[in-house]
Amino acid sequence: MAGFLGGLLNATVSAATVFILAGLGELISERAGVLNLGVEGMMLSGALGGFIVTVVTGSTWLGLFAGIVAGMALASIHAFLCISLKANQVISGVMLTLLGTGLTTFYGSRWVENSIDGFSQVTVPLVGQYLVDIPVIGTALFSNTPTDYIALALVPITWYFLNHSNMGLELISVGEDPEMADTMGVAVFKLRYLAVIIGGGFAGAAGAHLSLAFSQLWVPGMTAGRGWIAVALVIFAQWTPSRMLVGAYLFGMLDALQLRSQALSFSVGADTPLAGIINPTIDFLMNGQIMATYPYLATILVLSYAVIKTKSDRLAVPSALLQSYSRETD
Amino acid sequence: MNVEIDLTARERVPRWLSYATPVLTVLAALAVSAVVLLVIDVNPIEAYRLMLIETPTSEIGMADTLITTVPLVLAGLAVYLPLKAGLFNIGAEGQLVIGALAGSWVGLNVSLPGVALVPLMLLTAGIAGGALAAIPAWLRAKYDVNEIITSLLLSFVALQILSYMVRGPMRGSSGNFPQTDRFSAAATIPELFMRVHLGLAIALLIVVFTYLLMTRTRLGFEITFIGSNDEAAEQAGMSRYKVYLLVFILGGAFAGIGGISEISGVQGRLRAGFEPGYGFTAIPIALLGRNSAIKVLLASLFFALLFTGGTNMEIFLGIPAALVEVIQALIILFLITGEFFKRYRIDFTVERDPTPTPSETAGGDA
Repeated sequence: MAGFLGGLLNATVSAATVFILAGLGELISERAGVLNLGVEGMMLSGALGGFIVTVVTGSTWLGLFAGIVAGMALASIHAFLCISLKANQVISGVMLTLLGTGLTTFYGSRWVENSIDGFSQVTVPLVGQYLVDIPVIGTALFSNTPTDYIALALVPITWYFLNHSNMGLELISVGEDPEMADTMGVAVFKLRYLAVIIGGGFAGAAGAHLSLAFSQLWVPGMTAGRGWIAVALVIFAQWTPSRMLVGAYLFGMLDALQLRSQALSFSVGADTPLAGIINPTIDFLMNGQIMATYPYLATILVLSYAVIKTKSDRLAVPSALLQSYSRETD
Repeated sequence: MNVEIDLTARERVPRWLSYATPVLTVLAALAVSAVVLLVIDVNPIEAYRLMLIETPTSEIGMADTLITTVPLVLAGLAVYLPLKAGLFNIGAEGQLVIGALAGSWVGLNVSLPGVALVPLMLLTAGIAGGALAAIPAWLRAKYDVNEIITSLLLSFVALQILSYMVRGPMRGSSGNFPQTDRFSAAATIPELFMRVHLGLAIALLIVVFTYLLMTRTRLGFEITFIGSNDEAAEQAGMSRYKVYLLVFILGGAFAGIGGISEISGVQGRLRAGFEPGYGFTAIPIALLGRNSAIKVLLASLFFALLFTGGTNMEIFLGIPAALVEVIQALIILFLITGEFFKRYRIDFTVERDPTPTPSETAGGDA
């Protein structure tokens, strides 16, 4: 059981990194008032871009960089359409996911057979090797890929940036009330562009982590809906980085559990009352496909609870989310 | 020299522009996709000739296009109806899938003669699709919870439930594939001609029904009114709550019927991943056809042609079918770009003597 738990925790950390990176990107974009439903597509282009560059150059770091650039490239289309052309954010986002999926499947099929030496586990210098020996949690906490540590570090950095830097506060004001922000001299359009493109870079990094560290291979459609979970995660976390960290580990553990669900069997003894009902129920709830629905259901519950509870006047959702801004008064 | 760009909102869209936009949009998307094709050494003209000319002019291609239109137009209406009431249903995918699932369950487990079984399957599918759609609609109507997110997320829940059912309780007796047994003859929607099944007639009836609902009834007027100004509509005594639930449930039911038609009329058994995301294609379909149900039908025919033509390109030219996704996405991305030019007039004025005004030096505007 300890071995199982250790393996599960290891996988949880790596799976959570995908959600942390993609979720932070989505959070930044949404705080500036732009919903990005193209995350899934941006993650896929990051995963493929990162993989190809790693295969060609042999450098995983260049690969990660390429993944970020690929995500940013797709995000700039979203930014241009939604900010400059005031297009509908939902449609643009869904279409960019379609575009990203299509393009990466189209060009990516011939890269499937390539193999790479992805990011390897690193430990803290000096004390690292002793910390790793801590039972169960040792490797999960102290032996991870660099991307895991980067993602973890980005959570407080993003929090500090949004809540304590001038630019972050301006960015939030743009997402809350762009007209007021504009009156105060905040560069609304520039900040929204910045937020969307940085968000795309985060999504690209999440994809690159997936292909370079998490699975160390490329398969078309390998994000398998994780981009949508990242969108859900931001709502689940009510637009705050710290809660997102918790959510990312929760969803990451579900992700890791799904792959291992067949190795699990919990059951009560056959002579326990209601065993005939309890055991099938546990089997059903622990089924991999059923567990895959939990992040979505949890998000719907959290969103509904938050909306009903706060009666929408103190809701965490950025007030100008989904609204395009134009200077003409209309 | 200083080039100044002025954006003016148009008061009226010139007639030529409203016709030219869709055409130009498609042409632009095809042009960009041609570049995608050139990169993998495929002659785009040959590919497009196969996709857009040979496919619809051959009998098989025509039949395949009509068959694909059925789920597309029904899912398209599932997005179209809420759109009319000012709501965004991006969960047609889930409603379609859950309808296919519920209908298949009836088809596999109820024994009745075909005249009774097929209608019962369609009804169950409609109820299941409507029930799934009712959740985001109710949360929106009652508590103002954003229906975009909830309908989208419920789609992924539905897809996982499908995957669970065909791997578990509904898995067929033959082999380990995630699929059900084949439907009996009684559970199969009858063929009309050339493999085109009765589902097409049902879909056309639903299109006509929706068209009449929106243009000829008081309810259709209420939907449009609430869509354009829900507060004024409420003051006029209309119920937002009722209309929100109605458009979503009706739309979800249509999508559910589309799902079971595809299974019972074409594929003969339910599989995981039985369709390439028709419910998401429904979003651009509704967007293109948002002026009337008839236009939704036309847009569905066009996207059905893209799907069938894409399959043909894969078979005859070895081009990955993913290109269809790329073309679809590009068409819509260009379409929303075109919308901008329809709404705004752009004037370029070239000044010889640059005298920057304070608002320009302040920057900020893109």
